[in-house]
Amino acid sequence: MKRVLVLCAVVACGPSAQFRLTSSVDNDRSQVAAALAARQLPEQPTPENAARRPRVFVVIGGPTKQLAAYDLAGGNVLWKVPADVTSRVWVGGDFVVDIEQGQLVARSQQNGATRWRVAMSGEFVGAAADRERAYATWRVAGTASSWRLAAFDGASGDELWHADADGQLGAPAAQGGLVYSPYLSQWLSLVDGKTGKQLARLRGLDEQISIVRATSTTAYYGSKRGMFVLDARSAAGSREGATYGRVQIPAQLDRASYGRDLYDPIQIGYTAADRARVLWTGEATDAGAMKLEGDRYAVHYFRYVFGFSAAGDLVWAYQHPRVELVASDSTGAAIVGLGVDGELVALDPKTGAVRATTQLGVGSPVLGATFDADGWTPGAGAEPADQVGALVSIALDHDARFDRVKELAVTTLAKLPGGNVTNALLSVLADARAPQKLKDTVSDLLARRRDPSSIPALVQQLAVHADYITGTQPAGLGGLALDPADVSAALAALRTHLDAPSTQTADLVLVIAAMAAIGNGEERPALISHLLLAHADDDLGNDAAWSQAIAHALHDHAGPAERELLRHVASDPRTRPALAHALAEILAGD
Amino acid sequence: MRALFVGLLLAAPALAGPPKKAKLDLAPLAAALAGDDAEQAAKAADTLGDAADPAAHEALLDALALGPPAPVAVAAIGALAGHPAPPDVSALVRYAGHRDPSVRGAAIGALALYPDPVAQAAVVHGLHDQTGIVRGAAANAAAKGHITAAVEPLFALLAKGEEPAARALAQLADPDLARKIGDQLGHVPEATLALCLGAILKRADFGPDTARVEVVHALANLSDPAALSALTDYIDATPKTPPRPSRSEAEHAVEAKIGGGK
Repeated sequence: MKRVLVLCAVVACGPSAQFRLTSSVDNDRSQVAAALAARQLPEQPTPENAARRPRVFVVIGGPTKQLAAYDLAGGNVLWKVPADVTSRVWVGGDFVVDIEQGQLVARSQQNGATRWRVAMSGEFVGAAADRERAYATWRVAGTASSWRLAAFDGASGDELWHADADGQLGAPAAQGGLVYSPYLSQWLSLVDGKTGKQLARLRGLDEQISIVRATSTTAYYGSKRGMFVLDARSAAGSREGATYGRVQIPAQLDRASYGRDLYDPIQIGYTAADRARVLWTGEATDAGAMKLEGDRYAVHYFRYVFGFSAAGDLVWAYQHPRVELVASDSTGAAIVGLGVDGELVALDPKTGAVRATTQLGVGSPVLGATFDADGWTPGAGAEPADQVGALVSIALDHDARFDRVKELAVTTLAKLPGGNVTNALLSVLADARAPQKLKDTVSDLLARRRDPSSIPALVQQLAVHADYITGTQPAGLGGLALDPADVSAALAALRTHLDAPSTQTADLVLVIAAMAAIGNGEERPALISHLLLAHADDDLGNDAAWSQAIAHALHDHAGPAERELLRHVASDPRTRPALAHALAEILAGD
Repeated sequence: MRALFVGLLLAAPALAGPPKKAKLDLAPLAAALAGDDAEQAAKAADTLGDAADPAAHEALLDALALGPPAPVAVAAIGALAGHPAPPDVSALVRYAGHRDPSVRGAAIGALALYPDPVAQAAVVHGLHDQTGIVRGAAANAAAKGHITAAVEPLFALLAKGEEPAARALAQLADPDLARKIGDQLGHVPEATLALCLGAILKRADFGPDTARVEVVHALANLSDPAALSALTDYIDATPKTPPRPSRSEAEHAVEAKIGGGK
């Protein structure tokens, strides 16, 4: 049944405000406990829809926008209908709601047909749904500071109640018959979805409340800084007394947040913010901080998903092929994501293993999606993700938008042992299209890397020279840290770079230092030859860094004949000034 | 003193025997060569290079062992090559990796005079150099030294359109190699290929005439104007008598090109 309710007429009735700064008791533990106890929650995580089937509702772009529903377990399209959706999709029991042409529209989950419409008179803030009702919040038109939260019957669209506020309301969330309504960024009202009565109100003492995430069994609230589990301990209002958690988000993924900002009008619809999410599931706990299920959390960051240990160590990585993931969620047993191209992927939250992939066959780019798949456990037994392979793939990705993500990938790689990892890092240096800043990072990481199994890879890297015919160029030599334990091959390889005219001066400095460090005297004839050949060279002989490097390399452990040689070069009128100065300085200390 | 320094070098030549008596007054020349006046040093190098006295040669090697500035090194290398001797190779190979391209080019050019495999390897290595003038010097050296190991990299440079490589291959070509060069149509810029084939035809020592005919046919297949010039040059440089089939073929090819293939 389609109905249109013109809410502006209701606004004119001038109802009393439900949300006031001073009219409620905040952080009353008994009130909070009672309100939460009234929720009708399933024993186990389960989808919200009446069929209890894992689903995803997808807004598809193209000349005509479409809304589609997919059964994730069955892998089939439930329905696809033209729909000018301008918001996210909120999932109820046997209906979904969204905003279309300024109206709150409910559609049947059975076939996507419009069930009812409610015209909005005001600035829409957000909506939510539970199995029986839809809830909407909007800023009332024609008023300076009046917001309204209203409930509508999921079947008929009849308004069941409304409550006004004389301060800003955020978008609501719904769970098991309760509505969570953020208020003035500091409060969260727990409202009876059936009557509209405020049952309890939380006041954040430490943090703002701008994010609410409700799964089928647990609700979380908080801000970009961290999240609380909504439980009786929430009445403490503070991090210390409540069940609070904050995961470590690497600086390279700093756009990731715990959920949509309920006060941001842009995020009423699907935005880029949906592509940078912290994904987690909390475990029940009676005391202490929030505990992450499996001691894991994940961060969806555009094309990538990273799995972290509770301590913040990156333990797996996933790179979605070609396109970005526009939506993601944690079902508890899986991390699910949907690509722009309609490819759905389900990852094991502990290992990153791909447990399922499905092409939804959307036809046009996906604009956004809402998962209703709590508890869904797709597939099993998949091989754990190839962490090194995934990180290398990310590091070599040529998408310039994600240079910082690549930095995270190489930084993580460098912490792993093995010659294959060293080869992977070297492959970044060899990649002509890799950004220089990333190469510099890799060089630094290689320099700090102490991994004996990497020596063969490093020596092999040194074998690459500038060659006009083959077109090869040596990767930046900076950072090649060679262990004295296995020097012969390394010394020979370094010598080829010492003697190569194409070796850059900055690299020569490193080569000289490396040879001196590992050569144990074997390197000295080569370095002496190099000194004599270059002492009158306008470029090298005038380079202070090179001069210091060669002077120190030869002066340390020099015998009498070598000291005499150094004195001769220092006094040779053809010796360039920087080198003469470096030699004179170092010889003055004899 | 310098002999002591030289002895410290791995690559330094171990010159046998005591210093020989010089006919020239070597001391001032050696001093000039080691001085900071590059012009005087270069002149001294030239003078030493002109001398047949082994001591002059040794003075040049001593000077090179101590690393003179680039212009002096070029002069000393040139002087050294005036009287090639086996001990020169290690010194020249050292300079074949000098940072100054002109010095590298001079050293590689000089190495063409030495049949030592080490010298030839250095010449081949020079073909891979990043700098064009060094590759050019290496190509010339490969031709001059008839270094067969250089053929493959010369082909690679030919494919990149490098004229010195084309000229070098032309100098190295026997009938088999000339056939292989002719088969490069489509893999090598036509103008460069025409230059190479034309240079082969200019060689009086290239033959028999059946091989020249093949080269003419290869040129005839090229559409670049350089091919027409090469054929015309060959016709002009070859007497009508005694009749030579390759000349006749060249005339036919030119007529076909000028006549639009009729």
